[in-house]
Amino acid sequence: MRVAFELNGTPQYLDVDPGEPLVALLRRLGMKSVKEGCDTGDCGACTVLLDGRAVRSCLMVAPQVQGRKVTTVEALGTVDDPHPLQRAFLDAGAVQCGFCTPGMVLVAYELLGRNDDPTPDEVREAIAGNLCRCTGYVKIVDAVLLAARWKREGRWR
Amino acid sequence: MRLQGVRRFHLARDVEEALSLLSAYDGRGALLAGGVDLLRVPGREVEGLIDITRMGLAFVDGAGGRLRVGATTTLTEVLESPDTAHYAGGVLAEVLRAVAVPPLRNMATLGGAVVSAHPWADLPTALVALGAEARWVGDTEGRGSVEELYQGEFRGLFRKAVLTEIRFPPWEGAFAYEKVGRSATDIALLNACCGLGMDDGTIAWARVAVGARPERGERLPWAEEALVGQKAGPALWAEVGRLVESKVEVGDDRRAGGTWRRHTAGVLVARALARAAEKAAG
Repeated sequence: MRVAFELNGTPQYLDVDPGEPLVALLRRLGMKSVKEGCDTGDCGACTVLLDGRAVRSCLMVAPQVQGRKVTTVEALGTVDDPHPLQRAFLDAGAVQCGFCTPGMVLVAYELLGRNDDPTPDEVREAIAGNLCRCTGYVKIVDAVLLAARWKREGRWR
Repeated sequence: MRLQGVRRFHLARDVEEALSLLSAYDGRGALLAGGVDLLRVPGREVEGLIDITRMGLAFVDGAGGRLRVGATTTLTEVLESPDTAHYAGGVLAEVLRAVAVPPLRNMATLGGAVVSAHPWADLPTALVALGAEARWVGDTEGRGSVEELYQGEFRGLFRKAVLTEIRFPPWEGAFAYEKVGRSATDIALLNACCGLGMDDGTIAWARVAVGARPERGERLPWAEEALVGQKAGPALWAEVGRLVESKVEVGDDRRAGGTWRRHTAGVLVARALARAAEKAAG
């Protein structure tokens, strides 16, 4: 079946299998930041933004995005020109193996879109559904708080 | 995603179309809203998915002290509505913040929570305590209290009907919700939702429900009767907590034992009553 949606600002109109998981479609389209971890919505590695809200792409079929906007980390920045939020993750030492990082960045991006002065507890609540097996979360919380400060200072895009 | 066998996907434009498709699939189709339950069930096969999220059933309306919520409203949308904050002492916001994690709340819908009705879930206990009413369309339009639905064959009903709306009655007073899980984002090992209305320090009405016992949340009418007409205060909360501990029906499962649940039910009810009274007075 044909599906039309917007991926990282670019219109898409393509054939999908009605039962194709959204995570599979996005990876097929080259969005390799979107990881399949648990396949049950528990780990957060497949997180994407759907109309600005963080969702689990492993718990959606591709046709559900018909007419909607999907955002992955690829839209935020590049290796040469990272988004300030990605820069904050690097500066705070919040990236180790990196498997969880795209999901962490996107839930943080959603949080900071609504609240650019979160408390540490609000950050912990926002990232609570994203599992990290390397960092112990402390540096990730530090990174989001650092990014929030940069956002308040206007160092954002 | 664990659902298998999907061959067709439909974006239903209205309830009639959703029902027509459901009927045409004759048991091989399924309604899809948030998908957080349907798409993770291992081994389940569904030929046709019928997406019901584009039918205008996402709304929150708090006019007149009541709360009307469309069945496909996400838990986040309910949580963030100012109407939810003002309803019954803000208890629904308390309950919703206890449900899973933000990205799953961005997907899961209130209607899905009613229909899935997991016994360990937060919402069924609160819906029963609050006297919520479900409205649906099947062969005919229907309505009924969630409490009564859960005592009957509601799963069969919602295989052939579309839940359209959940209505919460107005309450002159306040409710509070208490839960114990293994972590801040865990499902409940036990939960309780209690409400009180006060008249000059005396309890005018009371609602007490305990869930994840491990059975689904149910009201405890004898606990409610023990509260009405009594003077509000810590001694009464403790007395009713002891009553709940002595009479509540609980059981064992792999997550918790009945002895622990029995004691904890009394503690949670006493805590919820104290907080509800504080809110009702404030």
